[in-house]
Amino acid sequence: MAADQLSPVVIQVLQDLTILFFAPLISGIVARIEARFQGRRGPRILQPYYDIAKLFRKETLVPEDSSWVYLAAPVVAFTCYLIVPLLIPVLTSYPLPLGYMGDILGGAFVLSLAGFSVSVAAAETDGPYAQLGSSRAMTFGALIEPALLFVTFTVALITTTDLPYFEAAAARASLSQVVRPAHLLAVVAFFLVVLSDTGRIPVETHSSTLELGMIDEARTLEYSGPPLALLKWGAAMKQLILYVILINVFTAPWGLAGSRSTGSVILAIPIFLAKAVGVGTLFAIIDNSFSKLRLFKLTEFMAAAFLVAGLAVLALYLGGG
Amino acid sequence: MMPALLAPPSTFTGTAEAITLLVLLSEFAMLRAPLSRSQIRLYAFQSLVVSGLAFYVAADRHIGDLYAVGTFSFLLKVIVVPAVILRLLKDAPEDLAGSHRLGVASMVLIAIAISVFGLFVVASLPIASILLPKAELGLATAAILVSFLLVIMRSDVVSQAVGFFSLENGVSVASLAIASGLSLVAEVAFFFDLLVAVVVLGVLMRLHHGRARTLSTNEMDRLRG
Repeated sequence: MAADQLSPVVIQVLQDLTILFFAPLISGIVARIEARFQGRRGPRILQPYYDIAKLFRKETLVPEDSSWVYLAAPVVAFTCYLIVPLLIPVLTSYPLPLGYMGDILGGAFVLSLAGFSVSVAAAETDGPYAQLGSSRAMTFGALIEPALLFVTFTVALITTTDLPYFEAAAARASLSQVVRPAHLLAVVAFFLVVLSDTGRIPVETHSSTLELGMIDEARTLEYSGPPLALLKWGAAMKQLILYVILINVFTAPWGLAGSRSTGSVILAIPIFLAKAVGVGTLFAIIDNSFSKLRLFKLTEFMAAAFLVAGLAVLALYLGGG
Repeated sequence: MMPALLAPPSTFTGTAEAITLLVLLSEFAMLRAPLSRSQIRLYAFQSLVVSGLAFYVAADRHIGDLYAVGTFSFLLKVIVVPAVILRLLKDAPEDLAGSHRLGVASMVLIAIAISVFGLFVVASLPIASILLPKAELGLATAAILVSFLLVIMRSDVVSQAVGFFSLENGVSVASLAIASGLSLVAEVAFFFDLLVAVVVLGVLMRLHHGRARTLSTNEMDRLRG
C-alpha cells in the first residue's frame, strides 16, 4: 500500500467523525443564515458546540417514575446516528467495507430505531408535552414512511439493488440518469421527507418554544444535562445524515473521493460541508418563505410526498422512465 | 461491482414523460386548491404545460401542425379562458376551502388509485403511439380520470368548471399521443367544445352566484320557476 493511501477502515472512521464533529457546525451555520433571513443578527456559528459543552457539565435530573429506558434512550439514539454514516457515501464514491452492511431501508430502520427509542423514553415520563410529542412523532413517522418506501423502490428499480452507493454511481454515470422523470420524482419525494424529518416544515418550527406546536422538540423537554446534550448532538447528526443522503445519493454525488489517497479524502470533507451548507440554506429559505400548516393539514403534505414517490415507481414500471 | 443499471430513456422520451407528469400533478393540485384564483391559475399552468408539450413534439418530430396547436392552445387556454373566468368571478368570494366532499389526503389517495387503474388499463390495450413514448396515453388517461374525480368531489362551481376544462387538457395530451399527425383537426374540434363550455359554464357560474350568493353547489337543491 502506498504511503499516502488510507486504509478503508480509517476512511470509514473518518466518515463517522465527519458527521460527528461537523453536524453542530452545519446546524450553527444554517441557524445563522436563517437569522439573517429574518433580519436578526443570530447566534454565533459555534453556538451549538457551546450549548452541548455546557449541557455535558450540568447534572442529570430524572423524572420520578422513569425507568432505565429514560437514560438509555439518548445513548441508543446517538449510537444509531453513528451507525448510519457507515452505510452511506459521506466522503467516498466507492463502497467501503461496512457499506454493504445495510441498504437504504436498513439505514432508515436504524434512524427509525433512534426515533423510536426517544419516543418510548418520552412516553414514560409524566410530562404531558413529552408524551404529546412522542405520540405525534410516531404517528407522523408512520405516515411519511410509505413515501420513503416508494423512493427505495424507485432506487431498486433503477439500480437493481437499493444500496445508496450504487444509486449515487447511477446518478454520476450519465446526465440522462439524473434527469430521467423517475429520478426527479424520487428526489422531490425524498426532499419532502427530509423537510418533514428535520422539523422544517410543515407544522413545527424547529427553534420554537411553543410546546403545542412541537413534534420532535417536545420529546426532549423533560431531559437535562448530558442526556440532553446527546439528544441535541444527535438531532444535528440526524439532520446532516439526511442531507448526506439527499446530496451524495440523489442530487449531487460529485466531489467525493474516487481513490484512497489522503489528499482526495481530506479534500472531500470541505466539498461535502459546502454542499451541506447549500442544502441547509435552501431549507432555511423554504422554512421562512411558507407559512406553517395547521396540524390536521399535515396529512395533505404526507399525501403529496406519497403521490410523487408513487408516480416515480409508476413512471419506471409502465414507461421505463 | 456495479450492478446493471436500468437504461435511461432517450432525451425526447424523458422530457415528454416529465412534461406529461406535470399535467397529471397539476390535476392533483387542483384537488386541493383552496381559492378560486389558485384553481384558475393551476388550470392556466396546466394548459401552458400542454402547449409546451405540443411545441416540444413539433420541434423534435418536425410536425408543423403542432406549432399551430400549441399557439392556439396557448392563446385560448393560457390567456383567454383564465382571463374570462377571472372576470366573471370578479364579485364572487374567493374561498373554496369548504367544498371538499372528503379530506384532501383521502381524495389524493383515491385519485392515486384511479390513476393507477387508468395507467394499467391503457398499458394492457394494444394501442401504441408512433411518435410519443408508451406511457403518454396512460398518463393522459390518468389525468382525465382525476379531472372526473375533481368534478365529483368538489362542491363548488369553479372547481367543477375547471375540472371540465382540464379534462379537455387531458384529452389534448391523449390526442397528441395517439394521433399527432391529425392533432390540428382534433384540436380545432376540442377548442370549439371548450369555447362552448366556457360560455355555458361561465353563464351558469354567474347565474348561480347571482341567485344564491355563493359558489357552492350544495345550495342547488331546489328547482325554481
